[in-house]
Amino acid sequence: MNITQLLNQLPGAAAQGLIWGIMAIGVYITFRILDTADLTVDGSFATGGAVAAILITSGVHPLLATAIAFLAGLLAGLITGVLHTGMGIPAILAGILTQLALYSINLRIQGLGTDLGSRANVPLSINKYKNMLVSLRNVGSFSIENPIWLMLLITVVLIGIMYWFFGTEYGCGLRAVGSNQQMARAQGISTGRGKIVGLMISNGLVAFSGALMAQYQGFSDVSMGRGAIVIGLAAVIIGEVIFGKLFRNFALKLLAVSLGAIIYYLVIQVVLWLGLNTDDLKLLTALVVALFLAMPYWKSHMAARRMKGGKPVV
Amino acid sequence: MKKLISMLAVLTLILSVCAFAGAEGTTYQVGILQFVQHPALDEATRGFREALTEKLGDSVVFTEENASGEVPNCATIASQLVAKQVNLIMANATPPLQACTNATGDIPVLGTSVTDYQSALEIELVNDATGINVSGTSDLAPLDRQAEMIRELFPEAKTVGLLYCSGEANSIFQIKKVEEYLAGMGIECKRYAFTDSNDLASVTQTATECDVIYIPTDNTAANNTEAIANIVIPAKVPVVAGEEGICKGCGIATLSISYYDIGRKTGEMAYEILVNGADVSTMPIAYAPQVVKEYNAANAAELGVVIPEDYLPIGE
Repeated sequence: MNITQLLNQLPGAAAQGLIWGIMAIGVYITFRILDTADLTVDGSFATGGAVAAILITSGVHPLLATAIAFLAGLLAGLITGVLHTGMGIPAILAGILTQLALYSINLRIQGLGTDLGSRANVPLSINKYKNMLVSLRNVGSFSIENPIWLMLLITVVLIGIMYWFFGTEYGCGLRAVGSNQQMARAQGISTGRGKIVGLMISNGLVAFSGALMAQYQGFSDVSMGRGAIVIGLAAVIIGEVIFGKLFRNFALKLLAVSLGAIIYYLVIQVVLWLGLNTDDLKLLTALVVALFLAMPYWKSHMAARRMKGGKPVV
Repeated sequence: MKKLISMLAVLTLILSVCAFAGAEGTTYQVGILQFVQHPALDEATRGFREALTEKLGDSVVFTEENASGEVPNCATIASQLVAKQVNLIMANATPPLQACTNATGDIPVLGTSVTDYQSALEIELVNDATGINVSGTSDLAPLDRQAEMIRELFPEAKTVGLLYCSGEANSIFQIKKVEEYLAGMGIECKRYAFTDSNDLASVTQTATECDVIYIPTDNTAANNTEAIANIVIPAKVPVVAGEEGICKGCGIATLSISYYDIGRKTGEMAYEILVNGADVSTMPIAYAPQVVKEYNAANAAELGVVIPEDYLPIGE
């Protein structure tokens, strides 16, 4: 155990955090802006990976493949949205249903062109597809190929686009849907359609992140989205707890989410470095997320105690 | 002044770290990335460690990590091992192999418990070698002999149900091959794919419509043999399994390789690379040194299956 090793590991954590950060921004849109917990993401993350992998292996440029993965994510969100608003299924259940369905769909997507018609794992070796956008291979190098630079650029551009979009009249309408549905409807906003659009954008970003992750790790796997929602939520909440006081602006709030994802991976990297048995990693993850979720609650209790007779704000 | 002191402290720390690394020149750092906690994979890792420790004693230091079955953890741990600049990485199962191969083009990567390197890495093997910094051992028991075994034990069987998890690339690969061999013998095959342990029972129930069931080296099946046994034994449908663990739980017979053996073999390959400077890119993929015909005595008696004499009973 020495400190230089830890320093060497940080770029890997940062790159992976930035990729998951995009996914977490997607989660932020549903969880915070639309105020719904969307569990589609475990499926749409893998959908993004599957679409990108199958396109790249069939010769499509990775940039285009990643863009198409985004479109596939939009579709996944559309399904959840229709299940929720058009069929009256509670949002959390609609997400779970889509996630379930996506498992089969992802197997089929990955199986395109094979004689079996379904495949669990598609390799995307950097040795073969040298023009992939990001790769684990270059994370330790000081070159322009280091995935961190591109991921930083993508994150900044993406936050810019989101900032612009949620500032337009339509975007403000979406935010109104999340903060007060009755009020939004009274203003003539179609809340059902608003939710669908929100879910679509969210899952589009999640699939986009999945596409980047598949390229980064060098393969796409049907189970790669397992537990994605936990990482996404963790990033959102860590970002809010640490930067909530500082960052009031909407763009900065999105940045906080991305930073939250990086911090999440740094924490994991550090505890691994400290010699934690990886068998206990999931327990630790749950504890970290629970702790950060509890912090705002505890804070409000403390604040209430300071005011005599005041009741905690829950 | 404070700044100066802290800078000096950091400097000494870095220097001592370098000195430490220099003095321990003969120590080999070996990273192990295992995909999931699982009896077969655990055995392979144990074999690997024991083989290397026997040869190198205290001069080998292991960093053993387990991705706990989560795919994204593989990339995290792979980049950690590369950053640690280990001398060699042992990747136990397919996702770790893929993540490690992508994480480094220089550090030798040895896989184990991987069935098919060609499809896992999307490369053509030349003389059984990968041509890149990857080699290792396969957990494949000869599939043509497994198909033979089905015919030998159950000459009357007309349909064979192939039971496997649709999410496991290795299983699908084996199912495809076995299907070809059985079809060549004029036996009809039906596929029964489950997605996870939740629908495993109902899919197994459907599969009992066949005369015989075949299960490949499927991780999900291996973790749920009790559930399978509770369905196939009362239904009197014999199971031929791709590995010993599954056969022990719910099967009649198997052509067995030992994961401990392939782990050991991987350890020997690691020794060749670390100490004798063998070139990993030309090292042929190795297979289990011995294959044994085994049977589950209790289940065979229960179903009244007559086992030929060259089969060994599976020990407890």
